[in-house]
Amino acid sequence: MQDPRIRIAAAAFLSIAAFISIQAATAAFLWLLVFTPRLQIVKRIRFVFSLILMIVFFSIVLELFGGHGLSYFSRMIVIVLIGIWIFSEQKSGEFLSIGVWLFGNKAGFELGMVAEMGMQSLVSVTADLDRIRMADKIKGKQWDVRSLVPAGLVLVHGALIRAEDTAELLAIRGYNYGGTLCPKFPIRPMDLVAGIFAFCIFIFALVPVSEFFILYR
Amino acid sequence: MVKIILNQLYAARDDWSLTASGTFNEGIHLVSGEVGSGKSTLAQMMAGLLPYSGGDLENKEITTSMLSLQFPELHVTGLSLAEECASWGVVPDEILNAIGLSGKKEVSPLLLSRGELSRLHLACVLAKDYDLLLLDEPFGSLDCEEKTRLCNLIGQKSQGITIIFTHEQDILPRVTRIWEIVDGTLVDCGKPPDAFQHWHHIPSVIKKLTALGCRPDNISLDDLQEAACRIQG
Repeated sequence: MQDPRIRIAAAAFLSIAAFISIQAATAAFLWLLVFTPRLQIVKRIRFVFSLILMIVFFSIVLELFGGHGLSYFSRMIVIVLIGIWIFSEQKSGEFLSIGVWLFGNKAGFELGMVAEMGMQSLVSVTADLDRIRMADKIKGKQWDVRSLVPAGLVLVHGALIRAEDTAELLAIRGYNYGGTLCPKFPIRPMDLVAGIFAFCIFIFALVPVSEFFILYR
Repeated sequence: MVKIILNQLYAARDDWSLTASGTFNEGIHLVSGEVGSGKSTLAQMMAGLLPYSGGDLENKEITTSMLSLQFPELHVTGLSLAEECASWGVVPDEILNAIGLSGKKEVSPLLLSRGELSRLHLACVLAKDYDLLLLDEPFGSLDCEEKTRLCNLIGQKSQGITIIFTHEQDILPRVTRIWEIVDGTLVDCGKPPDAFQHWHHIPSVIKKLTALGCRPDNISLDDLQEAACRIQG
């Protein structure tokens, strides 16, 4: 999906719908199958397995203590798939464009830039985590729960240093508040169709079907 | 005798690729190349920490190896300098005294400056002997004095294979062999001083000295000074 506005809106609609009911989650899953590059995207995103394990754990706990664990599992898996899809499709600069498009060159630019920096930071942290695990291996240390505290400290420290560097760089370059950007979004008819379907799923999740159609009772 | 043989070792991602062939025998090797040429990738592959897409890597009689990563903070696992030294299996007091940080045993390594952390990290790495020692950009964040000290320490290594991956041009140790990565291929330039004529990333000082007819015997500061003295003399 080329247009990030439709993509983000569709992801929001589908996530809310999937959370509301199992029927909507099924519809959202079918939507993913039809309008996204299939579930091959799952292979490209790390941490999927650990995320699914976490959902499995909470689902079992819910099931054991009288909740609807299976329903929770199905709905959460669909939400995770939507998250994976949106993350894999995201391109650098899109948040900035959307921020400006939504809220203009002042507040929108700021918000978009913060979102861009957040995404960039996520990429850096992932790369750093890889190197930390490599460094632990070099020292002959097994990666386990005890590794989390020092690794977390290094990651947070690195993120803070980078944030400070970026802030200084922006200040040196005279950045004050907002900027100028003319966002352009590629529009494809198929994106519009996908967006409309996502919106329909959202509406059907909110409003009972019987409200739309005259049903015999 | 220890050696590491690269046979068409290949790594690729997106529109970047690296091919490496050659034999690294006992001694000190310098692998130069531009930023992004693949020095770190090659170091990690040689350390067995990064899978390669093709080719073969053969270690002969190498039982212990060590890779020093470019960013020393990534190696930090201790919450204090003493703990950090201990995590490398070295005696904290000895190391901290040697690098002038003896009063900071309980300080967090992350509170040190980049230069101090590099000093600490390299001191811990060089405190032990390894059959294969890979140093990825060891001169980064060090001042001239520390670079010289590091060169002296590396120069004292009498056994095993030491490979320095760097784009440093000014202060380097005396080396056995010079390699460089050019257009995605590892090239064996040979032994200094003969290697100078094939070396694309030759430091400008060596280039000028050679042009003046005073070719240094090697790439260390002592060798450059000796060659420079020949001009004056």
